[in-house]
Amino acid sequence: MSRFLNFDTLSLHAGQVVDPEFGARAAPIYQTTSYVFPDTDTASSIFNLERGGHAYTRITNPTVGVLEQRIASLEGGSAAVCTSSGMAATYCAITAILGQGDHIVASTQMYGGNISLMKNTLPRFGITTTFFDPTDPDACRAAMQDNTKLIYGELIGNPGLDILDLEEIAKIGADHHVPFMVDATFNTPYLCRCFDYGANITVHSVTKWMGGHGVAIGGAVVDGGNFDWGATDKYPTITEPYAPFSGINLWEEFGPSAFATRIRAEAMRDIGPSMSPMNAFLLLQGIETLSLRMDKHMANTLELLDYLSNHEQVSWVNHPSLPSHSSFDLAQRYLPKGAGSIVSFGVKGGRNAGKAFIEACELASHLANVGDAKTLIIHPATTTHSRIDAEALAAAGITEDMVRLSVGLEDVADIKADFDTGFRAAKRVAAR
Amino acid sequence: MYFDVKGTQVFATTGGKPFDPAQPVVVFLHGAGGDHTVWNLQSRFFAFRGYSVLAPDLPGHTNSEGAPLVSIEAMADWLNGVFEALDCRDVSLVAHSMGCLVALELGSRCPDRLRSLSLIASGLATPVNDALLSAARDKPEAAIAMMTSWGYGAAGHYSRGPVPGNAMIAGGQMVMRGNSPEALHADLTACNDYANGKQAAPQVKAPVQVIVAGKDRMAPKKATDELAAHLPNASVAVIADSGHMVPQEAPNRCRQLLRDFIFQNNPAGQT
Repeated sequence: MSRFLNFDTLSLHAGQVVDPEFGARAAPIYQTTSYVFPDTDTASSIFNLERGGHAYTRITNPTVGVLEQRIASLEGGSAAVCTSSGMAATYCAITAILGQGDHIVASTQMYGGNISLMKNTLPRFGITTTFFDPTDPDACRAAMQDNTKLIYGELIGNPGLDILDLEEIAKIGADHHVPFMVDATFNTPYLCRCFDYGANITVHSVTKWMGGHGVAIGGAVVDGGNFDWGATDKYPTITEPYAPFSGINLWEEFGPSAFATRIRAEAMRDIGPSMSPMNAFLLLQGIETLSLRMDKHMANTLELLDYLSNHEQVSWVNHPSLPSHSSFDLAQRYLPKGAGSIVSFGVKGGRNAGKAFIEACELASHLANVGDAKTLIIHPATTTHSRIDAEALAAAGITEDMVRLSVGLEDVADIKADFDTGFRAAKRVAAR
Repeated sequence: MYFDVKGTQVFATTGGKPFDPAQPVVVFLHGAGGDHTVWNLQSRFFAFRGYSVLAPDLPGHTNSEGAPLVSIEAMADWLNGVFEALDCRDVSLVAHSMGCLVALELGSRCPDRLRSLSLIASGLATPVNDALLSAARDKPEAAIAMMTSWGYGAAGHYSRGPVPGNAMIAGGQMVMRGNSPEALHADLTACNDYANGKQAAPQVKAPVQVIVAGKDRMAPKKATDELAAHLPNASVAVIADSGHMVPQEAPNRCRQLLRDFIFQNNPAGQT
């Protein structure tokens, strides 16, 4: 009885009005800082949030807007704001609602940048964080304080790959009337739409699988529109008059998109981490093939899991699709199309053998990124998580022999052959 | 702002300016399952141009207390109560979908209260099919899906609205979920049962503009033509490419039509 456009169609079409003058089929790159107003009334209307429109590219841009509306549509959210990077998205999303004296409850298993933001940077501005083991929702509940204003986690934890129990954590948020924000970078909306399980906000590094080609840095905040900001007085930035816009009450005026509007009105204006139109264009090209790429990522991942699990030089393999993984059941529940294309494994022989493996691989690229079309490998203890202390390293489940693999789209036989070369080198080192 | 109507708290947004009944008033009334936010690309515009704006939530909708009203006549009584509670005179009433039936009923009962009436995406009646009615009662998520699937046109389904970043269907669904659980069924029952449109319309004295959505699957052209034919002083404007959710799908064109009509019929000394 009801009919909505499906994911693949939205990936190609959502957010774009075909250019009325020239009929460009691709979303044009509006490489401009500013926009000519037809009259003063229109100009004042845009500045006063009476109508949609563009005034200055730091705040909005037509190409970026297509990407924002496409991402919001794919996520099933009410609105999205794109930013210059995933970290900018996280920072803007947090500071839109938290300030001096406020508290976050966050998973221990997160990207090192997220942990550093909460452990080192935000405390300088009076925002503190208590970290909890993502495999233990009771620990999340126990960490809640009177001043807690946000629960934060990654659905697929980085790098331990533990799956956050979305519905359990969302229930804790609902019980305390605190929004639940999920970094959905590793899953993308193709593998899991977190709002369907009670999350209220998602943030993305769209640099990764969403863009998928390693050519543009970008981030996105998606407002699920499903948090009742008005039911509590905890969130005055959303529910109290906002002086810079004639005392607008964003919750009263914008309801389900009030949170996203706050980010647009405050963070993009006062801080300015805007996405460039060129990057938005590049990321749009990637999103057009999101489901195709994710299916191939998942197929290659399953093949490599089988290969690694049976390789004599591999001491352990970690992925939520493996029945041995503690999050296997949660992965089946929340990620039935696949639990992401990040795999971690241990190379027999420890740190030096792991190093030899990475340096001997030729096809797999040794670099600090994930979610590229190309296969990537890295040693987290000395790179992405090198700036966090030993205690946090252990809490994040990182060992010295760990190699993190981001499975690409190459022919999987070639990836296996490359790894065979790497493992032969590792074996020689281990034998010394 | 919150105020009291016959012992029940009512919420209405005032478009970002304090409500002053001494100014000409523009009242925006939402449709079935909706709330005040459907008007946010119209209400704020008028509030900053010399009008006092009220976009109330019907009882049981979003921020207004009370049980949802189950007849159009009761909603018209309630709206008249809003006008009396706030001493609203010189009212330009703007209504969408179910709100139009309420407006017709109010316009026929209190013809001297209105300075103008803008009716968006409605006929004289709104029959509701049994599947939707029963879903609204028993399977609210299915009813919300039906309403938003049918209600939004291409701008909604493709997220092509003019507000950068916004995806209006999800927002509309969230509004429906935020209402009291009985609200959608009550609204649709009221629509389905209302049979006084043909009698009410000819009694409306104020000038009326009928705004028709060219791709409206809920209020097709045949229905809007019939509405216009029964109004003694009506003009018709068509927004060709909009679905039923005109205030969100075609906000700029909708606002321009409202602006031209209300500025002419209920001037506020605006520029």
